[in-house]
Amino acid sequence: MSDATTLTVVKMDGELDIGRRAEIRHALAVEGNPSGVLVDFGDVTYADSSAISELLRFRNDLNRRGLPVALLIKSPQFKRLLEYAGVNEAFAVFDERGAALTYLGNAAS
Amino acid sequence: MNNVAELRLSRVARPSAVKSLRHAFLAFLTANDVSEDCAADIATAVGEALANSAEHAYGNAGSGTVEVYARVERESLIVEVADAGVFVDRPRREDRGFGLRIIKAVARSVSIEREGGTRVRMVFDPRFVQPLEAS
Repeated sequence: MSDATTLTVVKMDGELDIGRRAEIRHALAVEGNPSGVLVDFGDVTYADSSAISELLRFRNDLNRRGLPVALLIKSPQFKRLLEYAGVNEAFAVFDERGAALTYLGNAAS
Repeated sequence: MNNVAELRLSRVARPSAVKSLRHAFLAFLTANDVSEDCAADIATAVGEALANSAEHAYGNAGSGTVEVYARVERESLIVEVADAGVFVDRPRREDRGFGLRIIKAVARSVSIEREGGTRVRMVFDPRFVQPLEAS
């Protein structure tokens, strides 16, 4: 996890399945009071419902704190997983990092 | 690539074993000429059944195994994920319980037998599978 001015970036890669659930939860434990959070899953090649569960917990936490979140997801499998689970509209999902940052910038202003 | 009509795998049911089972299953799909996107979806569904078994089947009762059996039948793909434990299909909370929903979104049909363990039987649509060449 890294801070860029007041934006927090969470980056994970590889396959996010049940075997990495604790790691996902730990990575998404954002502290402090950033202006927003970019979850960079651009290098994630696979995800399962464990990742969805952790993302929803994370989103609910940020909602309570009034913080916007954007997901960068490039894997077609991951995008379809969100649809199959019926949660694709629960997140702001972007293909490109620039678009995600623009969204977070607008949400914070 | 040579078609492989059947696949049978068995591992200790634990979260760290799900990835290797899923990869072996993906190799089976590739050997049967299933397209990349379709294979990814089918492996996602099977991965959810495996994850449920790994997470819940044996609870505090120690460890046990989970088995994957897959076969191409005519132009359908039939996959069974079986363990000797308990299938957990809790009422879906907002942030949990997506596994069965995902399986149902991908598979043509799903049935769950709960006698002497749990057996999740999934049948995938023929469009996912290329017909085997006549032997």
